[in-house]
Amino acid sequence: MASNSSNLLWLSSLRFLKKHPWHFALSILGVALGVAVVVSIDLSNSSAEKAFQLSTEAVTGKATHQIRGAGENLDESVYRDLRVESGFRNSAPVVEGYARVDGLNRTFQVLGVDPIAEEPFRDYASQRAGIELSEFINGENSGLVAASVAEEIQAEIGDTLQISVGGRGFQIRLIGIIEASDDRSQQALESILLVDVSTAQRLFDMQGELTRIDLILPENSESVQAEIKPLLPEGAEIIRSDSRTETVEQMTRAFEFNLQALSMLALLVGMFLIYNTMTFSVVQRRPLIGRLRALGVTKNEILFTVLKEALLIGALGTVIGIVAGIILAQGLVKLVTQSINDLYFVLSVQELSIGVFPLLKGIVLGIGATLIAAFWPAREASQAEVTTVLKRSSNESKITSRILPLAGYGILGGLAGVGILLIPNGGIAAGYSSLLFMIVGFALITPLFIVGMAKLFRPLLGAINGLIGKMSVRGVVTELSRTSVAIAALAVAIAATVGVGVMVDSFRTTVVSWLEAQLQADVYIQPPSSVTRQADATLELNLVQILKETEGVAEASTVRSVDVRTNYGTDNLVAIDQGAAAKDAFQLKESGPNFWQRYTQEDLVMVSEVYAYRNDVGLGDTLFIDTDAGNQPFVIQAINFDYASDIGTVTISRKIYNQFFDDDAVSGLALYAEEGVEVEALVEQLRERVSGMQEVFIRSNRGLREASIEIFDRTFTVTIVLRMLAILVAFMGVLSALMALQLERARELAVLRANGMTPGQLWNYVISQTGVMGVMAGILSVPLGILMAYILVYVINLRSFGWTLQFMITPEVLIQAVALAIIAALLAGIYPSKKMSEANPADALRNE
Amino acid sequence: MKKIYWSIFAIILVAGIVWMNSGGEEEITASISVAEAMGGGDEEGYLRATGPREFVFPDDHGPHPGFRTEWWYYTGNVFTEEGRHFGYQFTIFRSQLNPPDSLNPSQPFYKGWNTDQLYLGHFAISDVQNENHVFEERYSRGAAGLAGAQVDPYRIWLEDWEILRVDPEETDDKNFPVQLKAKMENGTAIDLTVTPAKPLVLQGENGYDKKGEEEGNASYYLAFTRMDAEGSITINKEKLEVSGSSWMDHEWSTSALDREQEGWDWFSIQLSNGYDLMYYQLRNADGSVSEFTVGSLVDPDGNKVNISPEEVNLDVLDRWESPHSGASYPSKWTLQIPKYNLELDLATLFPDQEMDVSVRYFEGTLSVSGQMDGEEIGGNGFIEMTGYE
Repeated sequence: MASNSSNLLWLSSLRFLKKHPWHFALSILGVALGVAVVVSIDLSNSSAEKAFQLSTEAVTGKATHQIRGAGENLDESVYRDLRVESGFRNSAPVVEGYARVDGLNRTFQVLGVDPIAEEPFRDYASQRAGIELSEFINGENSGLVAASVAEEIQAEIGDTLQISVGGRGFQIRLIGIIEASDDRSQQALESILLVDVSTAQRLFDMQGELTRIDLILPENSESVQAEIKPLLPEGAEIIRSDSRTETVEQMTRAFEFNLQALSMLALLVGMFLIYNTMTFSVVQRRPLIGRLRALGVTKNEILFTVLKEALLIGALGTVIGIVAGIILAQGLVKLVTQSINDLYFVLSVQELSIGVFPLLKGIVLGIGATLIAAFWPAREASQAEVTTVLKRSSNESKITSRILPLAGYGILGGLAGVGILLIPNGGIAAGYSSLLFMIVGFALITPLFIVGMAKLFRPLLGAINGLIGKMSVRGVVTELSRTSVAIAALAVAIAATVGVGVMVDSFRTTVVSWLEAQLQADVYIQPPSSVTRQADATLELNLVQILKETEGVAEASTVRSVDVRTNYGTDNLVAIDQGAAAKDAFQLKESGPNFWQRYTQEDLVMVSEVYAYRNDVGLGDTLFIDTDAGNQPFVIQAINFDYASDIGTVTISRKIYNQFFDDDAVSGLALYAEEGVEVEALVEQLRERVSGMQEVFIRSNRGLREASIEIFDRTFTVTIVLRMLAILVAFMGVLSALMALQLERARELAVLRANGMTPGQLWNYVISQTGVMGVMAGILSVPLGILMAYILVYVINLRSFGWTLQFMITPEVLIQAVALAIIAALLAGIYPSKKMSEANPADALRNE
Repeated sequence: MKKIYWSIFAIILVAGIVWMNSGGEEEITASISVAEAMGGGDEEGYLRATGPREFVFPDDHGPHPGFRTEWWYYTGNVFTEEGRHFGYQFTIFRSQLNPPDSLNPSQPFYKGWNTDQLYLGHFAISDVQNENHVFEERYSRGAAGLAGAQVDPYRIWLEDWEILRVDPEETDDKNFPVQLKAKMENGTAIDLTVTPAKPLVLQGENGYDKKGEEEGNASYYLAFTRMDAEGSITINKEKLEVSGSSWMDHEWSTSALDREQEGWDWFSIQLSNGYDLMYYQLRNADGSVSEFTVGSLVDPDGNKVNISPEEVNLDVLDRWESPHSGASYPSKWTLQIPKYNLELDLATLFPDQEMDVSVRYFEGTLSVSGQMDGEEIGGNGFIEMTGYE
């Protein structure tokens, strides 16, 4: 019997779908949207990760360890000793930096190597790859780029490339092409300019110095390390190559986690949409199910048929969702890698790599969530007594009686969410699970909210729209089993947009006001830096002198930013030469007694709150820094606000810095104008004085602030785009859910028409009802959105970065949310109204 | 003389052609022929060996930049107390990458890592008892202290491989004796002190050694044909005290072979009666012996007579085909110089002493026996063969 009757059931199921193409299409759309968002974010995230991996692999090669100096660089004699004195040959010198190639709007990683030492490390850089030693090591500035780069700038071998390093121009003769063994590694080479060690030393003004020495050490390398260590100067260390990579990975981890967060939200919204779709689909067919049951079809047959149908919808939606997700990801991945390029390091691979995992996740979500979402309603429908199933009212009365228990569960869910937040050291994952509990809890309370709001709305709409207004509000409550799921789904979707919007606003407001306070000087001079959070460029000292001595300059201060190794890893150390005046520019969160008097006298440092949070350090803790005078202790005596770095900075007075570091370079210069001097005019004058020298950015206070905010905005482009995406999904969700709801009411509307309702009144009725639902969803989305934002700002952000942000709710975000809900809801009413008002009520009545 | 170096030089110069990347594994696809290596290349701008010259010591033991190539070539046969026999070769080559006048005017001198000097090293041990031949090749730029050659204090080095003067207080000579120190990746090493046992020999015409018809196809060639060697060899993680004899060639030039020459067989033989024989036979592409083939016989007091090819009968009695390259090398010879009543039977002590490096060649220790002036003699020797396919 099974095959025959289930075939018949399946046919009836297909027939139903065929007869309700809108419903069918909207169900698939619901699934597809959810899947598409998750897949696209996952794909762009994993592509960025892959790109990062390839780029680091290209540069790290097969090195297992590296020797790094105490300060920025390492004396090249270490390499000579390693090779000549101890005969350790699995070693390669590297001088690294960044440059811009004229004609290409992107940054290149300049890799200075000795091709003879490269063979075990990087195939493409070895002289066996065909590098002409006689042209490469002979002291002229020559280099190699990938073939695609040469093509892009239309350079041929023998041509001269113009490059710029920290504002200084150089000419590099192209003497060859670098090639990797496979296509993807080849892409990673597209951001590499390969030069000789000697050339790189000239470009980066590093005569006698190396960035690092790469090593290949055997598995258990302690004995080899013990042999090498005596050759190293004070402070130099052997570190694992991947620990270096890990540091960089950590920098991007928070960034990627945020994207992941958005994808989780999208997933949640997607699940709600799918759940709504499936519940609706089953609820709609309760009469049919009842009839089938009455005809002797078993519960299980019903259950399986519904699940089979869900599977069909899930599968179709998933396929469409994955395709759409891949298309979306093409655009997103560029934004993601651009942000990483701006902030952290150079990535040349911008192509989408379609991994199996994100697709699997999409499939599991699409089909799994559809089945799960369909299961409960299907079970309920199949288990109910035949007679009650035939009456929808029983279902509605059932949910009415459940409003309070549901709300109770909802409150419990919310409390559970709060409880999770209280778990000490809960981490980011706990933050997200808490968020999930709160959202589910909120959704469970939604029916209660709807009933409550309906009580308020009825008189209101009655006043505005008379009987039809009242009816439309009432309709929402009488069909609570359908409307509550839809409204909850919409509220969640819109709340996600509110949450992200509020978070971005809070962030921006905080950063802007911090910048206002931070930027005390009138003019700022910086060398062009290729990567925002990398202080790889310095100002020429004579240029600094000339600028300082310019007429109209009252005072000057400098900063020096270097990467140093501390007991917490590689950290950014900033040396400032302001005296007590610095206290105006630095906003302290906490500080020890008389900090500003003591900080130029004692071995003290100030760390940013992000740094303190990441490394779990506080006032009075000691930081050990590898200086040129060995590993030295510095006591943390202040914690400052700093939104410029998401990995944290350590600030020290220049006077103390100079005692420990043999380094007179300057990374940035701030000038104070004399009383009465026009700042913009001073900037012009400064630019004139140094024209023809090192190319530097001379910006007024205002100019720098604008530039900083621009960078900030660029960083958040991805977030904003994703928010737009979330809005789109929410919009489509509202549209499809409400449209389906109304289309399904054809019979009810036909009855109304038959009872004398005019087509105009019908329009009014349908649109008012969807509008009421939109308003309800919009209103509900506001508190939920703010709750989400609160968790994002105070839990997730804090746990991933450690920043203190001012919570900032702008009315625009809220208005936008409610407007979005209402507009989508109104649009959703148009098609059903049109259809029903044009249809012959008799036909509509007969059909059902 | 060891013209093998020309090939290596050529290899580096045309690295892109010679090295092919097939499936990630580098291999030599076509060993560039010696003739190509030595005839090819533009000598424009380099110094040339165009005629005899005055040597000034100790300076001439040091490097001669401006000439394209130069080498310090040590070979020898050493024995443990129990009589275990080892042959060794240790050579440091210098190569000038660009003509000396080609310097970019904007970079008026070399400093730091910049250089036009490239150094190569070859080091091999022939373990006769186990018929085991181990070898290694190295490169380095002659800059940043990584490799170089200098007179005072005398030192030729390529990373931790070096030839350096020892005991400067105990000798008037600023350069010798020297210590030879080299260690391979696998731990095989030598540490030998070699002391000249005869005066320096100026090979060819007072140290000017013409190798081809064309002007400048010649080298300057100095040799210690007999040196006492003492020290240690480390092989298979075992350090063995050894002593024996060594041979040194120091040669520099810019180009050597004529177009029709394709390779050579070079013998260095230390006879038990105190005589040392050097004989190299240049082979033409058609199989005939080049007229520029040269030899010399040094008597126990260090007096040298030159030997011309017409005075020598060299017959190949047997051959060995290399399993590595497929090249067929002679492995057994008779060498007769009737003018000096010399008859020698020569054979490689074991066949596989091929140097499978950037350019393949054969450098192996020989068994030597025969007669001179009617007297039975033995000896030690080395054979170098290039240009076989």
